[in-house]
Parts: sequence; C-alpha cells; structure tokens
Amino acid sequence: MIAARLAWGNLGLHRRKSLLIGMIMGMGILILFIGNSFIDTALSGLQRMFVQGYTGDLMVTGPTEFPTTVLGETAGSEEVLPHIAQIKKYEDFLARRNDVAATLPLLSGQAAFGIGETELGSGYCFGVNADDYRKFFPDNVTLVSGEWPKAGDGPWVLLSEPTLAILNKSATSPVQPGTHIIMTALANSAGTVIREVTVKGVIKFNQSNKQLEGLTLVDADTMRDLLGFASLRDGAPVLTGQEASFVSNFDPNALFENLFASNATGAAPAAAAPASTAQPGVKAEVIPAWQFLLVRVKPGASSSRLLSDLSAFSKQIADGDRVQDWIAGAGKVARTAVTIRLAFDLLVAVVAVVVVMIMMNVLIISVNERLYEIGTLRAIGAKRCVVRNMILYETAFLAAIAGAAGLVIGLVVLLLLGKFGIRAPNLFFEALFGGQVLKPMVSAGAAIRAFLWILVMGLGASWYPTIVALRIEPVIAMRGD
Amino acid sequence: MSDIIISLDKVKKVYFLDTVEVEALKDISLDIHAGDFVSIAGPSGSGKTSILNLIGCVDKPTSGTVVVGGKRTSDLDDDSLTELRHKSIGFIFQTFNLIPVLNIRENVELPLLLDNQSAGIQSKIESKADRKEWVDFLIESVGLKDRMLHKPAELSGGQRQRVAIARALVMKPAIVLADEPTANLDSATGESILRLMRHMNETFGTTFIFSTHDPDIVEEADHIIRLKDGRIIEDRRRNGASAALLAANLETAEATGTEGGQL
Repeated sequence: MIAARLAWGNLGLHRRKSLLIGMIMGMGILILFIGNSFIDTALSGLQRMFVQGYTGDLMVTGPTEFPTTVLGETAGSEEVLPHIAQIKKYEDFLARRNDVAATLPLLSGQAAFGIGETELGSGYCFGVNADDYRKFFPDNVTLVSGEWPKAGDGPWVLLSEPTLAILNKSATSPVQPGTHIIMTALANSAGTVIREVTVKGVIKFNQSNKQLEGLTLVDADTMRDLLGFASLRDGAPVLTGQEASFVSNFDPNALFENLFASNATGAAPAAAAPASTAQPGVKAEVIPAWQFLLVRVKPGASSSRLLSDLSAFSKQIADGDRVQDWIAGAGKVARTAVTIRLAFDLLVAVVAVVVVMIMMNVLIISVNERLYEIGTLRAIGAKRCVVRNMILYETAFLAAIAGAAGLVIGLVVLLLLGKFGIRAPNLFFEALFGGQVLKPMVSAGAAIRAFLWILVMGLGASWYPTIVALRIEPVIAMRGD
Repeated sequence: MSDIIISLDKVKKVYFLDTVEVEALKDISLDIHAGDFVSIAGPSGSGKTSILNLIGCVDKPTSGTVVVGGKRTSDLDDDSLTELRHKSIGFIFQTFNLIPVLNIRENVELPLLLDNQSAGIQSKIESKADRKEWVDFLIESVGLKDRMLHKPAELSGGQRQRVAIARALVMKPAIVLADEPTANLDSATGESILRLMRHMNETFGTTFIFSTHDPDIVEEADHIIRLKDGRIIEDRRRNGASAALLAANLETAEATGTEGGQL
C-alpha cells in the first residue's frame, strides 16, 4: 500500500509529466476505442448481412483450387464451380450435430436475361429450392409482387427490383410476374445453355449492397442446366420401359462388332440390343448437384468449432472440398474489412512503439529527478520490490485515469456519431459499412482492447525506468539532494 | 562497559573517480558500544561519510571487516542488508531527505509501513493502535504535533530535521546514524537538534553516531573519533562530562528562544 501511496503522491507532485503521459495515454485510448468501434460496427454489420442473408455461418463448396465466395468467384479461374459430390454425407454429418440450426444447398452463377432474341441484361443468380431458401434466410427476402414459387411449378425465376428495372429499360413490353423470359449461360461442358423461365415474382433483399441487391433466385434445376449440371438434376429421372431396356442391355462393343467384320451378304448390322422386352419404369440413382452447402449455427454455438470439425470431416470424406467461414464466403468486402482491422492494429503497434519511447523518456527523467528520494527509501529499509511497485503503480494509475477519460470521451463521440450516422461517400464504403449509413456502435470489446493496449504500452514504457530505479543504491541518499 | 555494537577492523575503502583511485579510508579499526553518543569529526574529505556509509550498510568495504549488530556486512546480500538497515539502523541525513509527497505523520510512519513489505516480518510495534500512539508520541517529542499534516516543503530546515529524527527512531533501532545533521541549520537550531538527539539517546538507549566538522558539536559526544585523510587520528571517550555540558547548552538555547526549545 505504501508503494501505491507514494505513486499517487508522485503523480500529483510531478503534474506536468503526469499530464503529458496521461494525455498521450488518453489520446491513445480514445483513438483505439473509436477506431476499433468503427471497425467492429462495420464488421458486425457485414457479418449480420452475410450470415443472415447470403452465406450463413459456414459454407462448404466442391473441390476448387482457389478461394470461393458465395457468388462463385474463384480467383484465377473463370470455370464453373464444381458440385459437392458428397453432399449427402455432409448433410448427414450436420444433421447429427446439435449446434447446427439449419443447412441450405445452393447453386450460384451468372446468366443473361432476354425476351425472344433480345437480351435485356445479366446478373448473378442463386439456384435454390424456394421454400428451403426462405426458411434458411427468413428475414432477408421480401416479396414485392407476384407469388412465391410452389412445389411442382415449372421453371421459375424471382427477379430482384434492381434487376427488374434493368430488364424493363430495354424490354418492349414490361417484364412482370407471369412474363416468360429466356435465361442464357455459358456452361463449362454444355456450351451455351438456354432455358425459358416464368417470372413468378419480384423480390427485395432487406440487407444488401450494390452487388447483392440485384441477385436473382432461380429454381435449382434450371440453374443446374445453366451451369452444365443437367445430368444431375433433382429427382431421379424416370425411364420408360424401352429406355430402361436399352440402358440395361447396352453393350458398346456390339456397336463396333460388325463394322470391321467381313459380311459378304451385306446384311444389315444386327441390332446391338437383343429384342427388347417391355419393362416398367426404372428409377436411376442420381444425387442432385449443389455447389454450396450453407450452414447456420444455433445462437450461442461456436461457429469456429463447427468449422474445425467440419473441415476435419471434409478431409476424411472428400478430396479438395472447401469448408469456409462467412468472411471467405462474403469475399472481397469482408476480407477488406478484416484487412483494415489488421492494418489498423499494425498502425497502432507502430504508433505504440513511438509512444512507448516518449513515455519511457519522460519516466526516466522522472526517476532521475527522484534519485535521492528513491535512495532514501532504500536506505531506510525499502526493498527493491517497493521501488518497482511504486513505478508500476504510477503507470497503472495513469493508465486508469487517462483510460477512463479516453473511454468517456470516446463514448460521447461514439454516441453522437451513432445518433447521426456517417454517410458512405462511395460504393466501397457502402459495402464496407454494410449500408449507406454507418452508425458506429459502442463496442465493449473495442473498449477492453484499447485499455489493454494502453496498459501494455504503459507497462512497456515503465520497464526500463523501473530497471533504472532499481539500480539506485541507498548510498546515494547520503550524498544529499 | 557496554556491549560492542559496531566494530570496524582494518577497513579500507577505495573509490574510483574515472580512472583515478581515491583511498577514502585507510586501515580503520574502531569499536562502538551500545548506547554510545558518538561523534565522527574531521574536515571535508577525511572519510566521515565513508565510515557512516559502511556502518549504515549502504556501502561495503574494499577490504577489512565491518560488523554491525554481530553481523559481518560483507557476508549479507542486498535483501539482508536492507532488512538490517530497516530493523536496526535509523538515518538522519544532512539534507533531511524527507519524502516530499508524504505529510509529516506519513514521513515518520514510513519505515513502519515498509515493515509490511515482506511476509513474516513482525514489527517491534505490534498493533495498529500501538503504532499510531508511538508515531504520535515521536512527533510530539520532536515538537511538531501541530504540524502533523503539513508537507515537508511547508516546514523550516530545523523542523524537517526533527521529522527526520522522529523517522529515524520510529523503528526503535539500536543505532541512529546522522550525517552532519546540523550542517544545513543555523547554530541555535543545530544545537537544539543535537540536544534532541541526546535526549533520545538517553531516553531510548539508542546508539547515536553523527558526523560533523563543527568543533563545538564534536565535544558534545561521549565518544569522539577524529579523522584526517582517511585515518583515525583520535579515538577518545569522555566519562560523565557530556550530560552536564549538554544540559547547560540546552538551557542557553531555551533562553534565546530558538526553535530548539520545544523538546
């Protein structure tokens, strides 16, 4: 306690130095608190938007060499993202876990829209089962007009408002629910694929940015066709008896058997297949193609733990499948936000070194001014620990006072900014803010991080002055001040 | 004859000023008895402070033996020396060396508060109430009862030295070392300080060792050690005269109305 008492008294006695160090610490906390709160707000807004509207907490994709976002981008490749061959196993694995709230299989790709020969526009499309999609993202999509697709409906599309506006700019007659439009895509293996779909409705994404607000929802089978997964449509194809017989009796060798054989009579080649026997319809075992499996964890559950478990499971069952978190799924924007945080932390670290040097200098001067005082303490029986604690208490008191001041000022600034908001100056910031206006929230995490930073800086700054103080010998007290 | 509490045997102390070797003490041997009132006299540079440093365990001899309270100081580590100083030695400095951020009461109490710094060390003054009473008694004894809550900067030089005396005695040490305690004081105040030290010496049986170059003050001591150029040139004891002489001096000081009259 005596060390604390001495430390407190010294702060008062050396007011100017205390004020200087306190101001540095207070400013540091203020900047850290506000900066981290901004980043936390942006990141949590982005996370909320992507997790609740586009990516879920986790995302499984088929084997790719490059990072994949929910829009199917793969850096360095423009090929269609492969489907997840073992999706059933993933679904079974996830169904057994009690930390999983829901899963959603999804397809993603680009397509052009047109009517007849006229191309009206293009955009990103998600191929989904409408009901599953609405259950998985219950709050993100609002039907503006038309109706939700029902089971058994033919090929359908739900156009977003911005996409509808683009199409209607070029269309001779208004595109609206009930309009048949042509969707065209360049699939990997199938070349150009063209499908006619019916506009079932017009939708609006409640949380979005410029890139995401134009998304179109398409029925999964149409999307599979457009992506070149036509053979992996949903539901087993039902073959007629004749088709089934052909498939079961098909012998490829028989096709070439007579081609090179001597046949003087020139008799017509025998049919490859034996006489067909009418059979009832046969169901082939086909697992529908999905490129993504989105996963939502239950509230309070750890998505990073599930990510780890799912990644381990993926390595067991499939070679090259990717299991990613929402940041990877969200792509550039989220990565930018995370990078900004890292850059901010790096900047803080660099500034911290400079600040620590300044503080250290001031503290060393302060220790040197107290040579006789410290020497006297040592002479009258203070052990080194008392001197060390005295210096550490001084730093701790300054950190606490300056920290509290910095946090209070930061809190006021954040509350004011939160009330009025900051308007995004351009699309980049709009994406980063997760909307047009950023209303920074008061982040307890940011406050704690800022305080810990300052405490670490304070302790770092007092490290060498403490050593200097501990070197002061009691004999110095005898020399007089 | 009382027990020997301090013993120096063939002590040599060498300092290095850059590359120059300065021999501050040369082959010093002396004994000091418990309860003595000792003056170490000599001109500047004669080695007075060096001897006090060695006796006060704030320095170690280059060669020879220093024994304080039965312990060879050269055998003790830093913590043990600190503990020895804390428990057995009180310091009165020429420049008072009070802690500026503490008030008078806290300055006097400071060594007692340092007593809590390591577990297991029992103070000589057991309870908190006893401590308070003891601190109050000391402050009252040095005549600063009404200044208890003042800061050192608010006191005169003589008053500060009184605080230093009270602080030096608060741990009830066996030895009090005073390095030119009157050097920064006017003669009347210096006299009163000396009288106070003598009073404490007689009241508590504490061994007082003070250095001075003032010939008048030197003669107040029972045991006079004179130094010159790092050597003892006189080591003499006076028997019985000191008390009477001191009493006469005190009466003179009181009659002149100096602050020394508060004892």
